Amino acid sequence: MSNQPETLYRALSDAVVGMDEEKTRQLSEQAVQTGVDAYTAIEQGLVDGMNRAGQLFETEEYFIPELLLCSDAMYAGLDVLRPHLKRDHSVARPKVVIGVVEGDTHDIGKNLVKIMLEASGFETIDLGRDIPPKRFVEEAVKHEAQVIALSTLMTTTMDGMAEVIQLLRQAQLRERFKVIVGGGPISQAFADRIGADGYSSGAPGAVKLVKQLVGVAA
Amino acid sequence: MSTLTPKERLLRALRQEETDRPPVVCTGGMMNAAIVEIMQATGLTLPEAHFDAAKMSALAQAVQERTGFENVGVPFCMTVEAELLGGEIDHGTLACEPKIAREPFSSVAKVEYKDVSALARCGRMRVVANAARQIAQAKPDVPVIASLTGPISTAASIVDPMTFYKELRKDPAGADRVLDYVTRLLAEFAGELLGQGGATAIAVGDPSATGEILGPAMFERYAVRYLNQLADHVHELGYPFIIHICGDLKRVKGLLPQLRCDALSTDAMINLPALKAEFPQITTMGNLSTFALQWSAPDKIAAMTRHLVADGIDIISPACGLSTSTQLTSIRALTDTVKASEPRK
Repeated sequence: MSNQPETLYRALSDAVVGMDEEKTRQLSEQAVQTGVDAYTAIEQGLVDGMNRAGQLFETEEYFIPELLLCSDAMYAGLDVLRPHLKRDHSVARPKVVIGVVEGDTHDIGKNLVKIMLEASGFETIDLGRDIPPKRFVEEAVKHEAQVIALSTLMTTTMDGMAEVIQLLRQAQLRERFKVIVGGGPISQAFADRIGADGYSSGAPGAVKLVKQLVGVAA
Repeated sequence: MSTLTPKERLLRALRQEETDRPPVVCTGGMMNAAIVEIMQATGLTLPEAHFDAAKMSALAQAVQERTGFENVGVPFCMTVEAELLGGEIDHGTLACEPKIAREPFSSVAKVEYKDVSALARCGRMRVVANAARQIAQAKPDVPVIASLTGPISTAASIVDPMTFYKELRKDPAGADRVLDYVTRLLAEFAGELLGQGGATAIAVGDPSATGEILGPAMFERYAVRYLNQLADHVHELGYPFIIHICGDLKRVKGLLPQLRCDALSTDAMINLPALKAEFPQITTMGNLSTFALQWSAPDKIAAMTRHLVADGIDIISPACGLSTSTQLTSIRALTDTVKASEPRK
C-alpha cells in the first residue's frame, strides 16, 4: 500500500501541513529513490500541503508561526525534488516582483505572500526590505514581471507605494505591470487613492488577486 | 470637576473614577504625534530628538502644546530597547521613524545576555528617562506617558522575526528565556521612567504580538504572560499600565480580561462600545482612525470624535501610529472636539 505513489503524495502533503520538516525531506528522498514523478510529487504532495495550510490560515486555525513552519517543510521538500524535475516542467511561470517599500524593514507579511505565490506556481523575485521605489521599477522591467507587489507595515512609509506608481506612469510603463499593495495600514481605499490595481488584506487573498489580475485560473 | 488638571483627569479615568469628560491623549512611542508640520514650524526636529534628552523633551512638549493632547508622550520610536540589546538601528529621517536595520541574533539560542539593571541606565534609555524628568519638571499638571515596546516586539527586534515566530513553537524554553530577559529589561526601564523619573504612566504597544499573528493559543501562552509580568512590576511600583493591541481582536477577545492593564487601547476596526458592553471591567481607550486623521476633513474627524465621546469611550486617542504628514488642523479637530464635549452628568 505504501508503495502507491498516491499514498506517498498524501504523506508528503500531510507532513507539510503537520509542520514536519524532517519527515517531508525524508519522504521527498523516498520519492526520488522510488522514481515517482518529481513534478507530481511537488504538485500533489508539497504544494497540496501548503495550500491546505493556507486554507487553515484563512479559516484562522493556523496562524503565522504555523504557516512559517509549513513553508519550511515545503521548501525542504522542494530542495530535494526540484533537481529531479523534467525540463518541460521548468518553464514560464508568471513572475511577480515583491518587496517591502523604502523606510520599512517589516517583512513577515511580504514573506507570507511570497510563500503562497510560490506554492501557487508563480515565480517571485524577492527584493527584500527597505527598497527604494526606483528599484521596483528597474527589477520589474529587467525580469519582465507581470506583477509588482508592494508591502509595508508602517503609516510613515505608505507614500512610497504611490511613488512606485508615479514612476511607472512617468516612464510610460504603467500599463505593463499590475501593481498590488498590502500590509497593516493599507486598505482598499488607499489602494484606490494611489491608483493601484489591487489590495489584499492577507496572503491567501493576495494569491487570488494575482491570479485574477494576470488571468490565471484559480 | 471642571478644575481637574489633565494629569488628574487621566489618572481618574485610569482608576475608573468619575471625570467631567474623557481625556484625549496620544501615548508616544509607536503612536506619537511628532508630525512634520510641527517640526518644521518649531525647528525641533527628528531624527536628532531621538538621541538627545533636551531635544526630545522640547519636541514632546511642543507636540503636546500644538496638538492639544492632554499628555506628553516619549519617546518617538520603538527602537530604544532593541538598540540597547545589540540591534543595529537605522536612525530614520524627519518624516520616518528609526527602525531595526538588522536583528543581531539569528535564533533565540544565540541571544547574548547582559545585566538588565545596568542596561536600563545607559544609552537611549537614559536619554528617554532624562527627557521624561525634564518634561515633568516643566509641566507638573500634564501627565507624561512613557511608551515601551512590548516584550514580543522587542524580542522579535533582536532575533530574526521569521525564526522567532517559528521558535515560539519549536523552542518554547528558548523563547521563554529571551522573553523573560527582555521583560525584565522593560521592567527596569519602567522603574527608571516612573516616580523620580517623571513619568505618570507606562504604555506598551506590542505590534508583533497581535491575535492575528499569533492566534489565541500563542497569544495566551506568550503575549498575555509577559505583558502581565511587566504590568505586575509597574503596579508594584504604584503606577498605571496601558496596553495597546494592534489589529483585529476577534480571535483573542475572550483573553482580554486576563490582561492586567488599567486601560486597553485598540485599533480603529474594533467596535469599542461593543467591547465595553461585553467586558464592563475594561477601561476602553481609542480609537480614532489614523487613516481618517490623515485623509478626512476636520468636520468629519470632529463628527467621528463626537461619536466616540457619546459612546462612552473612557479615554480618547488615535487608533494607531499617525502618519507624519497628518495635518495639525486634523489633530486639533480631534482634541478640540473632546474638550468641547458636554460635561458628563
